[in-house]
Amino acid sequence: MATGTSTFEQQKAEVTRVPLVTNNRSISWITQNISSIVEEKTPIWWWVAMMFTVPVALFGLFCVAYQISTGVGVWGENHPVGWAWDITNFVFWIGIGHAGTLISAILFLTRQKWRTSINRASEAMTLFAVCCAGIFPAIHVGRVWMAWFLAPIPNANAIWPNFRSPLLWDVFAVSTYFTVSVLFWYVGLVPDLATLRDRAKSKVTKFIYGIFALGWRGANRHWRHYEMAYLILAGISTPLVLSVHSVVSFDFATSVLPGWHATIFPPYFVAGAIFGGFAMVLTILLPARLLYPQLKDVITPQHIDKMCKIILLTGSIVGYAYAMEFFMAWYSANPYEIWVFLRNRVADPVVFGPLFNVPPAPYWWAYWAMIGCNVFAPQVFWSKKNRHNLILVFIIVNLVNAGMWFERFVIIVTSLHRDFLPSSWGMFHPTWAEIGLFVGTFGIFLTLFLLFMRFLPMVAMSEVKIVLPEADPHHHPEGPSHDKTTQVQH
Amino acid sequence: MKHIFHHPPEKATGRKYWRSIGQLAETKEFQGWLEREFPEGASELKADGVSRRSFLKLMGASAALAGMGLAACRHPLNLVPFTESSEWSIPGKALFFATSMPWRSGAEPLVITTHDGRPTKVEGNPRHPVSSGGTGTFAQSSLLDLYDPERSRFFYQDGEEATAEDFEHSLDYMIGRLGDGSGLAFLAEENASPTRERLRKEVLKRFPKSRWAVYEPLGNELADAAHAAAYGAAVTSVFNIEAADVVLSLDNDFLGSDEVAPVVARGFANRRRVEKPGDKMNRLYVVENRYTITGGMADHRLRLPASQVGHFVLALAKELGVDAGGITAEGNVELPEGWVREAAADLRSTNGRCLVLVGNRYPVAVQQLVAAINEKLGAQGKTLFSLPQTVEPALSLSDLATAIKEKSVRTLVILGGNPVYNAPSDYNWRELQESIPLVIRLGLHEDETSRVANWHIPAAHYLETWSDGIAYDGSYTAVQPIILPLYNGWSENDLLAKFAGQPKPKGSELVQETFRARLGGADFAKSWNQFLHDGFLPATVKPGALSYRGSLPSAKLAAPAGPGAIEIVFPADAKMDDGRFNNNGWLQEAPDPITKTTWDNVAWISPKTAKELGLKHPIHASEHDLVEIAFDDNRKVEAAIFIVPGHADNSIALSLGWGREVVGKVGEGTGVNAYRLRTSDSLYYGVGAKITNLRRKFPIAHTQEHFSMEGRGLVREATLDEFAENPTFVKDNVSPPAPPNGVSLYPHPKLTSPNQWGMAIDLNTCFGCNACVIACQAENNVPIVGKEQVINGRSMHWLRNDRYFVSDGGEEEDLGEYASDPQMVVQPMMCQHCENAPCETVCPVNATVHSDDGLNVMAYNRCIGTRYCANNCPFKVRRFNFFDYNQRPIGKVKVPILGEVSGLALGPLTKKGMADTLKMQKNPNVTVRMRGVMEKCTFCVQRIQEARIAQKVKAGSSSDTTIPRDSFTSACAQACPTDALVFGDIADPESRVSKLKAQQKAYTLLEYLNINPRVTYLARLRNPNPKMPDAKRTASQAEPAHS
Repeated sequence: MATGTSTFEQQKAEVTRVPLVTNNRSISWITQNISSIVEEKTPIWWWVAMMFTVPVALFGLFCVAYQISTGVGVWGENHPVGWAWDITNFVFWIGIGHAGTLISAILFLTRQKWRTSINRASEAMTLFAVCCAGIFPAIHVGRVWMAWFLAPIPNANAIWPNFRSPLLWDVFAVSTYFTVSVLFWYVGLVPDLATLRDRAKSKVTKFIYGIFALGWRGANRHWRHYEMAYLILAGISTPLVLSVHSVVSFDFATSVLPGWHATIFPPYFVAGAIFGGFAMVLTILLPARLLYPQLKDVITPQHIDKMCKIILLTGSIVGYAYAMEFFMAWYSANPYEIWVFLRNRVADPVVFGPLFNVPPAPYWWAYWAMIGCNVFAPQVFWSKKNRHNLILVFIIVNLVNAGMWFERFVIIVTSLHRDFLPSSWGMFHPTWAEIGLFVGTFGIFLTLFLLFMRFLPMVAMSEVKIVLPEADPHHHPEGPSHDKTTQVQH
Repeated sequence: MKHIFHHPPEKATGRKYWRSIGQLAETKEFQGWLEREFPEGASELKADGVSRRSFLKLMGASAALAGMGLAACRHPLNLVPFTESSEWSIPGKALFFATSMPWRSGAEPLVITTHDGRPTKVEGNPRHPVSSGGTGTFAQSSLLDLYDPERSRFFYQDGEEATAEDFEHSLDYMIGRLGDGSGLAFLAEENASPTRERLRKEVLKRFPKSRWAVYEPLGNELADAAHAAAYGAAVTSVFNIEAADVVLSLDNDFLGSDEVAPVVARGFANRRRVEKPGDKMNRLYVVENRYTITGGMADHRLRLPASQVGHFVLALAKELGVDAGGITAEGNVELPEGWVREAAADLRSTNGRCLVLVGNRYPVAVQQLVAAINEKLGAQGKTLFSLPQTVEPALSLSDLATAIKEKSVRTLVILGGNPVYNAPSDYNWRELQESIPLVIRLGLHEDETSRVANWHIPAAHYLETWSDGIAYDGSYTAVQPIILPLYNGWSENDLLAKFAGQPKPKGSELVQETFRARLGGADFAKSWNQFLHDGFLPATVKPGALSYRGSLPSAKLAAPAGPGAIEIVFPADAKMDDGRFNNNGWLQEAPDPITKTTWDNVAWISPKTAKELGLKHPIHASEHDLVEIAFDDNRKVEAAIFIVPGHADNSIALSLGWGREVVGKVGEGTGVNAYRLRTSDSLYYGVGAKITNLRRKFPIAHTQEHFSMEGRGLVREATLDEFAENPTFVKDNVSPPAPPNGVSLYPHPKLTSPNQWGMAIDLNTCFGCNACVIACQAENNVPIVGKEQVINGRSMHWLRNDRYFVSDGGEEEDLGEYASDPQMVVQPMMCQHCENAPCETVCPVNATVHSDDGLNVMAYNRCIGTRYCANNCPFKVRRFNFFDYNQRPIGKVKVPILGEVSGLALGPLTKKGMADTLKMQKNPNVTVRMRGVMEKCTFCVQRIQEARIAQKVKAGSSSDTTIPRDSFTSACAQACPTDALVFGDIADPESRVSKLKAQQKAYTLLEYLNINPRVTYLARLRNPNPKMPDAKRTASQAEPAHS
């Protein structure tokens, strides 16, 4: 056993939790520095950013208008590939929308206090991602103006939607998820909106924030109701986190198509969604930390480290699922299943094609892009050093974003393009209209996020304050406290 | 009491009767219209209101007025229903008229369906033995030509628009100055119409020195010459393929483009219907340079360059002991050891119940030698018969060309045809035609020939004219107008009548006169009505014996193709024929039976030759290598190559009929003109072309990218002997197997209807001729989508013929390796009407559901177009309207800034609407679908409903609502010349379809999915000769149900 004070200090440091907010920031510092993001003069970079994102978003909307007015044919879809970028993008964005609710609800219920500094931004991201996702199933149909047939509206013809169709389940699942996510996000916002209202200098601002703050005064009763509502919503959201992507996966799993027809899809999709969602949270927050240095004390390397660990875990689950799909195809001895996995996906010109003695799959590059980005890239997060190298983290999470898009593309297009009858095999080639729409959704997403940054507090101030040592008057600091003598030096 | 109009006695289902326009002509009303209302009505029609009704009456009586009729159709809002019913017309009920389509190998007997006076569908005449209800592809699609909005509608004099009156005046003046006709010449197409023949003689009587020439680029000129030499010119020969046990086809595509008479296909198929183990089947040997649908049916196929077929015939003659006389061959051809010997032995063993057929554009000597072989084999009188020749010999195109060069033709009347486009290139026909002072051209389209004619006369379509014809069996057939000329066209009989000094006929008088002469003394009115009702007079002359003269010429066959001497073969195109159908969208978009290409012709080439030339087949794209094919500096074309497995090495096939220069929007820019390469001494093939890889690409639209079945049990086949040994081979080794209990997770509607619809498809009698594809398109208002959209994989055909090549394997298409000599199989594929349909469970809006009679039905109104059903369809037979194909321009349109852009992609910026005439073609019982909805085969639900309603009306209060057995059928099954597709009630064990489904070689596809398709396939059988050198290969390739 080691001796001496230094050993004791070391041991003490090891068992002591690193504070969630660094630099020993006080409650008022939090209020001041987070609110100032909203209150200060609009920075130049924000205008510059908007100059990029708004035209891109508008171009996306133009692509929507073009598609609706002209026909689905403006995209590259065909017989046999009836779905391609539209549903790929839908599942991609819906997947991204998973991290927010997971952070807000599941981590709330499991008392993961580190969530407080990132939950607001990731919930906002969820909502914006679901908005983007919602565009695709709505407009991918041939007759958008008849899309109301999807709603179970009693009508003169007594025709109901087909409750056996997973696409209908999707409608319910996604709309429920969006509604609950909005409520959850808004309820969490109320105390902070009141803060902004109280700090507002102009009457108009005060009035608007006042409306949305719902008369919040921070009274004890308010807090009691607020916390109860938050808990209930967290309880409602938790199963939704699991259900939405399970239902989305049913679109594929309940079909007869080899490559879609797989029982592993629900857990695999949920894990993939969390994986992609966290990657997107980091993609957004890492630049935000740079732009607003005060956020560095709130969103600390420790947060990033934890998110990287989740990415590593879920990425490995996804990798396991890929392997398991391949195994099941082989184990089923079903030649159609084996064909889809081996000949439509895995067989590349260099390694696996020659290994299995088959020609390269037409979309081998998409499959290996997916494997590379989703399975191999996150493995660098085993090392703590890498998890703290923010540039590396940023690169990896963007690879994950791309990989998760490829995952959906691989599932949808490579299964469809060569299925049962070789006579109907074909290829899919995207057109400018669908590429434009996909890029446009990034414009929409980023525009909404930029607006969010300007007008709402990016960090849940009230919640972060709760995790400050200051918020716990009975706390006897073992580790660092607001006492300057024990402040951790950086 | 309310007067209930009764239709004349008819079958309850209402689709088996038809009436003649002649009967109608006898009625008072019709005479009245002709005499009185027509001239009056013509002026009244420009107004609206009451007089519109008289127009509609005329329409209803299938007598739509040409220009005015159209004007009225442009304003459908003003349409009013009949207030007075004309006698034969029941609103909403179709009328059927018998007629026939003129064709070079004999008229094809037809029955035309009309709705409110509009012909909407062509069917075969079930009473005529040549048709028995089946049709060819061309007859089916000729309907679209009738309504082609770009058909010629105006008279032109030296390029200026003129009127019919101008022309008649000028014609009368000119005819008056012809004298003895020494400067007058006619150039006509092959047509055995007795009325035309009679008029021709009358013209000759009036102008004894006039000339009459006949030219068909794919015609029987050489065959006739060979025939005349072998048997004399007074007779023509017909063959009865059904009587042949063994058939050897020497590059004669008698099931496809070389013979359109459905009787030939049916006769052949009848000998391939194997119901149970032990049944016999004929045997087919094919020698050809390229895959044809005939070659696809072969039990033994030898791929041989066309220039070596003559050498093959010599070898066969030698083997059979036929004296080849003075026919010798240059060069040496190596034939597979034993092939000729065993094939000859097999032919000989049949004691004359065999047939050797040769392509009709092979050198005369080769064809004569084949006649000698048939004579030696004793086919004469057993499979080969004579019929009297009904047409006098005519001058050939080369005779006419000589006369023109000698300046002895002052006036040339071109009746149809398009010699400027399709004459052999060494004639320089354009210059010849330009050198004639007066050229009068009667043409269906304004084309290349019209451009260098002084007068262009719009021709009437055969569905608009009175004429007659001789069918394949020698019977006399009627050609009667189903609708008055839409564009004021003249028939060739009209024009000939003028030259014969008669007035332009008002109606059927000319044909009546011919008919009267044939009839002898019988009651004219009754017989005439019967003739028009039936559409034909039964053949009175029975096929007789041919007397063989046995004089073979001395000829030397030219050196054949070989390494370094590549031959170019000019086959008839399976879709364009000689180019006459180039502006026909249905045919343009129909996939070629072998290559599955649309909208272009391609240079077919073997994998080996392509490799030698450094050419590649694109694997995942539509961009094909371009080559230049040149005989000399003038005779050259640029064509895209297409590697076809089973193609002969050192041989390229480039079909005729493409690359038209003056053609409508549909045909514009499609394909390359192989006529440029063709000279009078290389009518079928030319050896020694130079092939240059241009290292450029050209997009080719094809509907099937993959050649191989990839070992999946889709088309299951065996040899006849294997079937006898193992009658249930189709059920062996089904992998993955069907689920044992067949339970479905979902509840399904009860199949409670007394009739349950299903289909059986006999793969042993289906050649893949496309007649069903076009029939489906016509019946169900299936749109065409244009080349660009076919490349995008959006072809709309509800029914497609999947073509696979079968070989021992080892080739990987995805690496660009193709079998050099595989076998070919065809599989018609349409909605399988699965009882557990995967499409139905996934549709979120219940737009596709199951009916109680077992149909998988589509509610277009309900469909929002998620395409989920198509994704989940294992057969990928669902078709999505990606664009507004019916309303927006197909193909390129010119717009400012962007230049030429796809009209469909411009969508709302283009003019909306469909040509008026094309609207007239649409089947009123089938919805025309808009963009954004899914569609697919309905089993012709409109026909089912019609039959069901008829039966319910008949049943009255009784409960007998079961539709009578086999009383109607789907469009595809009706068109099929071989009855390979059979539709019917599977709840009735005695129906044809039930009996077929009960056969041991019946199977359904993808059993493991537990979908219970209603479409059953009957396995393909081959009948190889065990002694043949390739017999083992044939047997081993016939792999059963392995998936």
